[in-house]
Formats: sequence, structure tokens, C-alpha cells
Amino acid sequence: MSNAKFILNTGRSLSQGMYMESEGKWSESYFKIVATIEMNPSDIKKLGVRDRVKIFSNGNGIVALVKPSDRVAEGTIFIPMGPIANLLVDGDTDGVGIPTFKTTEVEVRVSEEQVTTLRDVLKLLGAKNLEVFAKDLPLKSGERKFFESVSCPFCGDLCDYLKIEVDGNRIVRNVGGCAVSIAKFLNYHKHRILEPYMRMNGSLTSVDFDRALEEAAKILASSKYPLIYGLSSTCVEAVEVAIELAEIVRGVVDNTSTVCHGPTVLAVQEVGGVYMTFAPVLHLADVIVFWGTNAREAHGNHITRLITAIGRFRKGRRDRKVVVIDTRKTMTADMSDIFVQVEPGRDLELITALRMALKDLDIESPTVAGVPREKIYELAEIFRTARYGVIFFGMGVTQTGAKLRNIQAVIRLVQELNEWTKFVLLPMRGHYNVTGANQASLWLTGYPYAVDFSRGFPRMVPGVTTAVDLLTNGDVDAALIIASDPVAHFPRKAVEHLSKIPVIVVDAKWSLTAAFADVIIPAGLVGIECEGTAYRMDGVPIYMKKVVEPPPGVLCDVKILTNLVEKVRALKGLRS
Amino acid sequence: MTQIIIKNGFVIDPLSNIKGEVMDIAIKDGKIVDLKEVDESRAIVIDVKGRVVMAGGIDVHSHIAGPKVNTGRLMRPEDHYLTNIPHILPYKRAETGLTTPNVFRIGYEYARMGFTLVAEPATPPIKTRHTHHELNAIPMIDKMAFVLVDSNWVSLDLIKEGRRDLLAAYYAWLLKATKTYALKLVDPGSDVAWIIKGSGLDIDDQMPEYGFTPRELIKVIGDVTQLLNIPHKIHVHCNRLGYPGNYMTTLKTMATARDITKVGEGLAMHITHVQFTGYKGDSWATLESGGEDIAKELNANPYISLDLGQVILDRPVTTMTADAPFEFVLYHLTRWKWFNSDTEVDAAAGIVPYRYRSKSYVNTVQWAIGLEVALLARDPWRIFITTDHPNAGPFIDYPKVFAWLISRKAREDTMKKVNQRALKRCSLPSIDREYTLYDLAIMTRAAPAKLLGLERFKGHLGVGADADIVVYDIDPRVVDISKDYERVVKAFRRAWLVVKDGEIIVRDGEIVKTVYGRTFYIDPEMPAELEKELSKVLEAKFRELYTVALESFVIKENEIAKPMRISTKTYLR
Repeated sequence: MSNAKFILNTGRSLSQGMYMESEGKWSESYFKIVATIEMNPSDIKKLGVRDRVKIFSNGNGIVALVKPSDRVAEGTIFIPMGPIANLLVDGDTDGVGIPTFKTTEVEVRVSEEQVTTLRDVLKLLGAKNLEVFAKDLPLKSGERKFFESVSCPFCGDLCDYLKIEVDGNRIVRNVGGCAVSIAKFLNYHKHRILEPYMRMNGSLTSVDFDRALEEAAKILASSKYPLIYGLSSTCVEAVEVAIELAEIVRGVVDNTSTVCHGPTVLAVQEVGGVYMTFAPVLHLADVIVFWGTNAREAHGNHITRLITAIGRFRKGRRDRKVVVIDTRKTMTADMSDIFVQVEPGRDLELITALRMALKDLDIESPTVAGVPREKIYELAEIFRTARYGVIFFGMGVTQTGAKLRNIQAVIRLVQELNEWTKFVLLPMRGHYNVTGANQASLWLTGYPYAVDFSRGFPRMVPGVTTAVDLLTNGDVDAALIIASDPVAHFPRKAVEHLSKIPVIVVDAKWSLTAAFADVIIPAGLVGIECEGTAYRMDGVPIYMKKVVEPPPGVLCDVKILTNLVEKVRALKGLRS
Repeated sequence: MTQIIIKNGFVIDPLSNIKGEVMDIAIKDGKIVDLKEVDESRAIVIDVKGRVVMAGGIDVHSHIAGPKVNTGRLMRPEDHYLTNIPHILPYKRAETGLTTPNVFRIGYEYARMGFTLVAEPATPPIKTRHTHHELNAIPMIDKMAFVLVDSNWVSLDLIKEGRRDLLAAYYAWLLKATKTYALKLVDPGSDVAWIIKGSGLDIDDQMPEYGFTPRELIKVIGDVTQLLNIPHKIHVHCNRLGYPGNYMTTLKTMATARDITKVGEGLAMHITHVQFTGYKGDSWATLESGGEDIAKELNANPYISLDLGQVILDRPVTTMTADAPFEFVLYHLTRWKWFNSDTEVDAAAGIVPYRYRSKSYVNTVQWAIGLEVALLARDPWRIFITTDHPNAGPFIDYPKVFAWLISRKAREDTMKKVNQRALKRCSLPSIDREYTLYDLAIMTRAAPAKLLGLERFKGHLGVGADADIVVYDIDPRVVDISKDYERVVKAFRRAWLVVKDGEIIVRDGEIVKTVYGRTFYIDPEMPAELEKELSKVLEAKFRELYTVALESFVIKENEIAKPMRISTKTYLR
């Protein structure tokens, strides 16, 4: 047998995160990781794979290296999130705004062709510029400084207890951060955008800041329906200005929750939620569930902060029962007391069965979503006899199968558990300020993301005003991408539209989206070079410090966007 | 800066003892000045003959900012579908929402009603930075926030350890660190019980893990606020809110105000949205109004003030409160959407959408309670009009409440539409009292300014006051407001002219300019030695209890868009 159908699963991995934050997305090492698939050894044997396969989906075929791993179930493959994974993912969002990143059916064939390269991928997508002008910021030793209580601008845990040591403009030590955090701080100088660029006569040319800004303003002011996207890796102060900009140009402003916890937000709109901040978990939680989230790789310090740490009424790990529910035996599953392997895309069935078990209803089928009935009764009993239970859930639940219906059901499950005991849940938010992007959007517009201003007032229509749909359907005629990399994380059809419209990129590092840019504006790194507030995944806002100055001539996002608003206002004749 | 003269207005200004006189008011540099100081040839002169002039309105209790308000917006997309007003660039941003309005709608609606200062009455300490982000974003009005303290483990630890001096120092530090204005108690002690056990408390129940009662807690915090000498002392949402029979708990809570050791000026205790805690009867079926009993205690107890939490019938509301156990109970009645948040070691909150219906027995009783309390209270200086926005009704319905208070006919017209069986159990139909516009000016301007300790420059039209001025298009010398109450509703819903800090922001009921007000906060002075001792305690407590660094918790002044620090001289030693 040399070809077979598989279920493709994508997600974050530790090394993907580390290389993304250090060498950058244009590096060999990053690409090697996101172009290597994990496959169960018995499938490898069955197919007769030497070291690579060709994967077909959606009319695309890519060749990738194979790594044997018993963490993935037979019949499934895993690729870390990135440009390769997204070539295979369908752009259809089922009217929810989020593509099905987790359970794509693909065909896998044994192949000896050359492994697909990043440049192949970008060409396929219609990239405008393949030159990379990223530079490392020159480092100079000098004054030694120590900073305490520094917060980490990587994931939604927003650890605010880092100790950072600086020598001149060199960051030399990060104590308290996880592996990704250390990679991010110590390599902050690498792969930077240090000057503004504009595409002139088909290639990127360095220009001065005013010129780039003027051009960006022209693009936005003359556009009929622009998309402003990203915002989850910048401060809320910048998000507020970006939303004002969208209102002025009557465009759409969307943030990255559109492709991560968007379904969670939609579910809260329907049924509410039972959330908490971290401290009640630390002090009280005796049952902790990780559902479709690989905290150990994606949120490096989460376990040490909340599970192994000692709270007032719980003496660390031994006082807590850890349950992991996932399709893959993740690193988080390795430290669990109970691991429940669910069949891909069938979480809703498992949740429904759990709600039935909770009410002592009979489950007829001996297994549900691959989980034996007895196990489900056991879980229900563990949940309702907990003193304080918590479910941390992630992309494994939002991006698969029934999407927002999964989350609605999980929230209902937790609401019902409160008839017996204290039970809460919390989405594991990825970007360090994606929560803040939702919050600012809410107080300014009443909606958490995908906000359209085409009628002069805010509207949110999932599946229509969500970024992936706007791009896939070719609705927008310009894009401003701030502190985000949709080319690395959006499906193919969506990315292809970026090759057809003017694109402005505001970022600190040379992203893959820069390959589609007409204007590139360098920005300082928020949380390292720029101050500003970010919201932790549980909604706790923290004012982030800076430990070094931005590169010469480089401004922070707030300043860039404020300047842009001024220029757009002037072009539109809207002086206040 | 702009100079303005408002000419020939019929001025009502209780703090200056002006009960309706035709006067001119001069404005310069954002302040009210003597007429001589303004050069009439260079000033904007506005003739407001035949119209009422008052100071800008002040709302002491309205949930306008913070994590629960924003979660309310999240949970209620349907609140935003049909309530939009497009922007008019460059001077007006887009508005949306009724019970969960966006920041622009909040600022603009208050301005259109002539309100210029609003207090957000409950912010959990650890998320107060969020509250300030929203307050910063609300245009038009001045604002402040009250910080939640009743279920704060740090303060409860200190009480348990008997460290009264440190407790006072801690609250002083907390007000400054969170840039807030007063201490708020919500269902005192209940969020501790809720987070640990999933239950609530009555005033004489023991708090789990701490062993003392909410009654003792209220007294301790009340005593501390006297030592701190802060202008607005404790702001209390009583235990057992929302349960039939809870008026007894409210009476007990009010009585504790007598036990508080008084050293400073001002009222010792404010009981908020008393309608929700004024229920007589032992079940929903036998519910009756406790309004009369509460008004009686208010009249007899000089240390207390109240606000109403007046129910507005046939309007959707979004109930949101730090009374998390009550919201869980309400969820069992509605069975639609329920949001809960257990917030660190300092509070919790719940949110449930609701609708009061005029045909409902219970809702009619609730509607009557607020009005009974207001109409039976003798002293308008100690009774405040609120709808506990957005819990009992949206704040934009204040003019309806004004009408019910100034006009018996307005009440009778509404009473025709409500549940008649309920009405028979209420004393409201037998009450004749009608407030005057002067009383209304007390309740919405003068008294709130005094309650918040801002009467020097807010709530009046005397020389030196902030130029927050409103002109309503009604002439009480011509219109019989008792009969023609619709005119009052119309006039107060859309002010004819509003001046904020000396700038014209509303004309003819429409926004003409977007401005941003200040955020008031209290900074009680603290002896250096006590501060030193406190900082040691804080470091240890934060390491043990919080999941943020102490440094991250403290909100710096530069995080507030327009801070207005008010320092108080304390009795701390």
C-alpha cells in the first residue's frame, strides 16, 4: 500500500514556538520544523515510508519529511502550525469565521520528490517579494541593568515575574521565563525590520518613515473596504487606535481570536460562561482538566504557576488530580493522572455523554468518541465530587468538529456542574494580548472581534466580517496587518487574496506576510522595547515594562497608528 | 479659552440656596466666575429665557465601566443589533447598545441628559486597571470608581489577625494603588463563601475560613473609613439581595451605621439600590413591599443615605453584580445565559440578562418599592435616584423616574398598566407626595456632590465651581409639571444646552463636540512608619495570595487619562 487517507491535525509545538521567536519564520530551522509531519510508526510501516511523503488536500500537494511518533493515533498525522499546514487547510469556515484547522481529511502518498521549500510555498501563494531585508540589530555592551517584575510578551499566561538582565542593548539573562520566553528575549535583536520599505517597480526599496506612512495613509484613505488585522501581539492602547482607524475608513477591524478562540467568544454570546482568574485555581482547585490544549508546550509556565505551585488550601501537585483530554498523547498528557484519548473532531459527543452521565442518564453505546462508557461515568464522578474543578481548554476544542457548539456544550457542562460543586473553565489564550484585543474591541464597539464599520456603526457578522472569510471571498480591497502573520496562519485561499490587494505591514520582525507587503513599517517590540498594557488570558490587565529602547528611528505601535490616523484624517478632510 | 454667558435662565441651585431665580451665569477658563470677569463683547452669549438652569447632574451608582460591564457587552450581542447610531465624523463616534452600551453611547447619553459626573460603583481590585481603561475611553463626563473590599483575603486576614491599624493603612494604600474613590461592600463577605463553597451569606452568618460575620465586617470597615476620613464612607449592597424577606437584613445593616464610631464628617453609610433589598414576604408568591419600613428607618437614622435602584418596567436589562451567589440564583429563574467570574482573592461577579414585565406580580412589587422609599423619605438630601444601571433599568430612563417622583398623575398612568393584584399589596397608590424641581435638583446635583465630598466645585453654580452646567427646555412658572409630566420627561431626556468644563458639548439635545472628563481618586495620607510596616505585609501577602507581582498590581497615575487626585487628612497614627 502506498497511499491512504489520514486525518490532519495542526497545532503549536514547543520548538515551533522557540524557532519562531528566535531565528524567525524565514529561517531553515523554523521551516524544517513546520514542514515535518508526525506519523504513527505503524502507519509508517504500513505505507512503507522512507523519510518523506506527499500530502494532498484541497487540490494542493506538498512533500514533507516524516517523523515517527507514537503520540499521534493511527490514521492521523500532525503538522505544527505554519505555512505548510495552512496550504492543506480548507478556507471554508462554516460561517463561523474559523477554518477547520484540526480535522482536515488528507491523502498521503509515499514519495521521493524533493521536499517542498518555503520559497515554493510562497510562490504558490503568489508572494510579491521574496527578498528578505531583515537585519540583526547591532548589539553593544554598555551599562548593566537589572529589571524585576518584567512581563513576558509571548503567550496568554503573561508571566509578570521575569528578571531580565541587560548589558548595553544586549539582553543577557531571562530568569523565570519558559523556553520560548528566553528565546524571545535573548533573540529580540534578530531578524528585525529596521527601516520602512515600499514596493517600487516590483521590488522593495527602503524609504523614510514619513514617506512610508504617507503611502500607507493613501492606501487606506482611498480604499473602499479595508481590513485591519492582527493586534493580539500589541498593547490595548494600540488596539484602541487601530479601531478608531477602522471607524474612520469604514473598514473592518479583526484580531487573531478570529482563528483561535473566536468560537469560544461566540459560545459565550450564546450561553455565558463560568470563568475565574488564576488565584482561585492556585488556592482551591483539586481537579484540573486540560482539554484540547497542550499547555506544557504552548504555555510553558502554566503548570508550574498553577498546578505544582502551593496555594493556601492546596499543597501543590499531590493535592490535585490532573485530567488530560486530547486526540494526541501530548507532553501535557505525560504528567496527567488520567489521559483520555478522544477521536479527532468528536469532542461534542464526549461532552454530551459527560452531561448525560452527570444526570445519571444511561449511555447506550459502549464507547463514545473512542472513549469507553465506564471511563465517562468515572470522569463525571470525579468532576462532581471535586471541591473546586477547572477546565482549561484550547484549540483542540475550538477548531474541530462542531466548533462553537463544542464550546457551548462545555460551558453548559460546567454550568451544570455548579449544581453539585464549584466548577469553572477558562480558554487558554495564545497571544499574550489577544484577550486585551477582545476587551478593547468590546468597550469601543460592543463586539469582541470582526467588527465592520461600513455603515458607520459597528456590526459583527461571523462568517462574513471575519478576516479569513473577507480574504477568501475577496471582499476587502486593502489590508493593514499589525503585529501578526496571517500568511503563516491563514488557509491558502485567504492568503492568495493578499497577493492581489495593497498590503501594509507593521511589525518588529520580518514576518512571512512581509512577502506580500507593499508598505512595511518597522515597530518596536511591545513588552521589550515599548510599554503598554496587555490582558492575561483570565482578563487580568498588566502594564508591561520595557527593558531596552527601540532601534534608532523605530517607533512603538501606538505612535505609528496615531500618526497614521492623523494622516488618514487629513486625506479625508476630517480635521477635528 | 472660551467665555460664555448664560443669560436670563431660571436658576435652581440648592447648594447656593437659590430656589428658582432669573440670573445670568458667567463662565471663563472652565469655571463659573463673577459676571464682572467676563468681557461680554468677546463671550458667547446664550439667552435661555424661559428655561431651567442647573448644575450638571451627578450619578452615584451606575455600572458604566470594568470587567463585568464588558462581559455584559460580550454576552449580549442582541443588545447591539437595533440600537446603533452611525458616527458623525470628526466630532462624534459611533454609538451602540441599550443595556450594555459602548463607551461612546454612555458618555453621549449622560451628556444629552445633562449629567456630567458618574460613579462606577464596583471594581474588583485586580482588574481595576481594566475599569480605568474604560473610564478613560468614556467621553463627555467626569468619573470615578469604588473598589470592592468585602471579600478581599488580604483585608480579611488583617481583620482576623486583629491588625486594625494595618487594615486602615491597607485600605488607604488600596485606594491609592487602584486610583479609586471609595470602598464598596457587595453582599458583604459573600464572595468568600461563593468562591470557597458556592454559597452566599446573611448578615449574621459566619464567613467560611474567617469565622466572623458580615455585620462585624461592615462595622470594622465603617470604623476604618472614619479613621481614613475619606469623603464617601462605605457604599453597601446588603446581604441577601434579591431574596424575599430580605428587608429585615437591610434594616439590620442600616442599624449597624449607628454602631460605627464616628470621628469624621459626612454620612457613615450609603445603602445602594435599596429596592433589591426591600422585599417583605417569605416567597415570591407572597412578596410584599418593605419600602415603608425602610423609609421609616431612613427617616429615623441620620447616619444613612440610600439610592433607589428603581425598576423600569418592560425594558430589557442586563443584571451584573459582584453579588455572584445571587446571580447564580437568578440564573435558575431565567435559564438562559449566566456568566460568573471568580476574581482572584478579592471578589467575584455574575451576569444574567433579565426583563421586568409590567404584568408580573413580582416585578410590579419591585417597581413600587423604589418609589415608595423615595416618596416616604423625608430628607431629599439623603435619597438618590438610580436604576443601578443596567440592573433595574437603563440610566437613560432617569427622566421617567423623575416624572414618577414629581407627578402623582405620572404614577397613576403607569399604575393602570401594571399588575393590579400586586398594586393592592403596595402603599404606593395611597401616596400623594410630589417632589418639586428644586427637590430634584437636590437629589441629582447638590446631595450627590455633598455625598462624594465634592460640593466645593461640583453640584452647584456658585463662583468657583466647575463650569458643568445644563439648561433644560422647561419653565416651571408656565408648565404645571405635575399635570404635564411628559414635558418634564422630554426636557430631561434631551438637555437644551450642556456646558462641560466651560465648553459647549450639547445643543438642542444633540452632541456637538466630544470632550473627555477627569477621573477622581482618593489619596489618604499615611504616616511613614505605618507605610513601612504595611509594605512588608503586602510583599508577603502578595507572594502568598496573588498571581500577579505587587508592582504589576499598582496603577500608576500616568495610566489614567486625566487624573484628579484628592488627598485626605487621616486620623491614622
